[in-house]
Amino acid sequence: MDKQRSLRISQVGLRGVVGPGLTAAHVLDFAAAFGTFLEKRGKVIVGYDPRASSAMLLEGVTAGLLACGHDVVDLGMVSTPVIQHAIRRHNAAGGVSIGASHNAAEWNALKFFGPNGTYLSTNEAGELLDIYHLKKFDFAEWQQLGKRSADREAMDYYLGQLEQVFDFAALRRFRVLVDCTNGSSAPLLRRMVERYGLQLILINERLEGVEFAHEPSTNRKMVAMQLAPLMRHVGADAGFLFDVDADRVAMATETGEAVSEEMVLVLIAQEMLQMGPGKLIITNLSTTALLEEIASKHGGRVIRGPVGRQAATDMLSGYKPEQIAVAGEGTGAVMMPQFRFVYDGIASMLAVLSALVRRGQTLSALLNALPRYSILKGEVPLETHRIPELLLALEERYADGQRNTQDGLRVDWQDRWFHVRVSQTEPIVRVICEQRGDPPESLYYEIVDLVRSFNI
Amino acid sequence: MSRAHQLKIGVSGIRGVIGGFLTPNLACAFAQAFGSYVGPGRVVLGRDTRRSGEMIEHAVTCGLLAAGCEVVKVGVLPTPTIQVYVSETHARGGIAITASHNPPEYNALKLFNHEGLFFNQYERAELLDLYHQSTFRQAENAEIRRILTDYESAMRRHIHRVLDHVNVEAIRAKAFRVALDAVNGAGSKMSVHFLREVLGCELHAIAVDPELPFPREAEPKPESLGDLRDLMKRTAAEIGFAQDPDGDRLAVANERGEILDNDEVLAIAVDCVLSRTPGPVVVNLTTSAVIDDVAARHGCPVYRAPVGEANVVERMKAMRAVIGGEGSNGGIIFPGVQYCRDSYMGMAFFLDKMAQTGLRVSEIAAELPRYYRRMGKASYEHGRLGPIMQALEERFSGARIDRSDGLKVVTPEGWIHVRASNTEPLLRIAAEARSQDRVEELYQSALREL
Repeated sequence: MDKQRSLRISQVGLRGVVGPGLTAAHVLDFAAAFGTFLEKRGKVIVGYDPRASSAMLLEGVTAGLLACGHDVVDLGMVSTPVIQHAIRRHNAAGGVSIGASHNAAEWNALKFFGPNGTYLSTNEAGELLDIYHLKKFDFAEWQQLGKRSADREAMDYYLGQLEQVFDFAALRRFRVLVDCTNGSSAPLLRRMVERYGLQLILINERLEGVEFAHEPSTNRKMVAMQLAPLMRHVGADAGFLFDVDADRVAMATETGEAVSEEMVLVLIAQEMLQMGPGKLIITNLSTTALLEEIASKHGGRVIRGPVGRQAATDMLSGYKPEQIAVAGEGTGAVMMPQFRFVYDGIASMLAVLSALVRRGQTLSALLNALPRYSILKGEVPLETHRIPELLLALEERYADGQRNTQDGLRVDWQDRWFHVRVSQTEPIVRVICEQRGDPPESLYYEIVDLVRSFNI
Repeated sequence: MSRAHQLKIGVSGIRGVIGGFLTPNLACAFAQAFGSYVGPGRVVLGRDTRRSGEMIEHAVTCGLLAAGCEVVKVGVLPTPTIQVYVSETHARGGIAITASHNPPEYNALKLFNHEGLFFNQYERAELLDLYHQSTFRQAENAEIRRILTDYESAMRRHIHRVLDHVNVEAIRAKAFRVALDAVNGAGSKMSVHFLREVLGCELHAIAVDPELPFPREAEPKPESLGDLRDLMKRTAAEIGFAQDPDGDRLAVANERGEILDNDEVLAIAVDCVLSRTPGPVVVNLTTSAVIDDVAARHGCPVYRAPVGEANVVERMKAMRAVIGGEGSNGGIIFPGVQYCRDSYMGMAFFLDKMAQTGLRVSEIAAELPRYYRRMGKASYEHGRLGPIMQALEERFSGARIDRSDGLKVVTPEGWIHVRASNTEPLLRIAAEARSQDRVEELYQSALREL
């Protein structure tokens, strides 16, 4: 992708390749916009990932917030969930997470949180964008400027929150191999080893600013390359691979098998529904249909919406927290009601390990007990102006299925479905196709060919 | 004050009122322009104690990092100390976040080249163009460098340089009783350490808490130094010093608590230097003829430069001056330490002189020839400066004329200097003569032309 055109300013925040795409000026403006957006002057919690550019973004965000009269509490290099928990602890006006999560090292991004550590709703995010575009910021007079302070205890506070939900003592029995991808999961996991005596074997633990040991994606392919081959050598009971800011996680079994990224949400959903039957699973249209099967077994229901954190946030706001079992997506990003709906890879890892304790099963046994689903995913470069035509053609071709047009086109049949949608972050069309049992290869390639035919 | 003057971006850098005028966004952009100009190397960053310093520091750091510079934060320090640090550590440049003697609602960036000198006029113009072009260097992730901190060594380096030029043991032996008003500025900690620990004075200090706001007007002038006078009376101090918020300007009080004229302060420093190392002296056009008299005693020439520290420094380098300064605003520039206004060297010169001669400050000042001065400012309409200058020149036909910065008319009995302020829409008028009547006459003649 053209680096100059990498900048994306949307309701999810600000993202781009630092330098040619995302500049200091964007950061200053966005920070001032957020400082203006938060009406009540108060504390704003800030944390960042280990990318070299994060230091630059941190300085800019701090300056913008101080100038708008907010006190800045700097948590240092911490994962995004730690920031969200700290917002509540400090009773802060909001928070900012600096880091580009699963993107490559040259990217960076700003994510914004409201007073409870929650993601901004679509309306709020829209207002923030309006302020950004208008560039009329509410700068404080010199006597009212904010002050900066540091909080180095946020990590321990966060672990304390996890402690209230998970029985760490019971997890000591497992030998767990973890790939930190040189990201902010590393210090947290190291602390968990010290504090709870967990047997975590960490690889790629060193925080890196410029080059990560591998691409920070949490999919099966990455696990198969990086983590799975080591499992038997280490004799680990389970393996986990985090993205850089630890909001997503992927798994490998004790037998050295890379698990589909779809399964993190599935396993946690199963546990949550067993403990709270009849509750809801909130997910997107691209995520496995195995969720429906599990939900119906426990009297629950799956609510699906468009892909993206913003849509998930909006869906969540339509229900009471106690109605919801879990929310998440097939990318390995899962949020649980106990933690007030924060995408949290570490909590997800602990939830999976706790499931193993509760059931007294191995990870592979737990996965093998589930009905087999096969999912195929791919992407095709985009010819923007032909998208509506393409979707229409797909709809006509597969008119026998049940269609959903909330986000591109999803068509469902008994035991199989496909979803064709336009990426929010790159100029590509994504094709996802799943079938109960064997892979739906003929259907998948038929669709991919059809999509490609619109790109000449 | 009009909106326009609450923010000024020009060849002298960027300066403005916090809260909508000098925004972090502007400071960041200017710093990124600076970083692009000096290149991807080390840039030293320090600041004075103003409330907005922290905020601007973050914005400037952001801009420097974005330009690919390595930032060395030296914390709250006097401007001369930052300049010494830049020159000693071979950095690409430096930035001091300070609005110097301006009120607390202001802040500004002072920009230094790799020698720790103010940018010269050509460098300043180039940087300003770069800022306006907005084509900054945009470092990618792999090119973004670290933030380093060195809160310790800068003070030591500066003091070390100062001590090379005075007799420390003689000063310490006297244990002078000294009063200090540091305006809670950047010099607060360093000045206390310097006077009490290093020079062994019995120090009585007020306004030396960098966490507190300025307790008086930022510029150290007689009207604003009532507290220092009271302190001196209470403690029977032999000498009093007052600094501005960034420690480049110095005011001196004699043992009676009377604030010395800035020109006299400079003249005494000039005398100290020339008595050890004779050589050329450079001062600005508004500085008193007392400097010429003192230099003449040592047989040394005096050259004059347009008003402004950068102008004086440039001329000092060209003339290989051994000392220089701007009498009008309390600045002593001694190249032996650094080409910048330095209140610390100033304090040391006075204590050294007292130790050497055994004289009181009032006695030292009494040795200077007496001149009478009148300084003032008047508002004027744009475009009116030319006609005023022409009229004055006609009126004093036969006098020596200097047009290098406004108009200076030098007659045998005295001089008048009229110039437009660089920072405000004002005309600055200065006159000097041997008698009170004559100076009044000269001053009024300039006013009449307005």
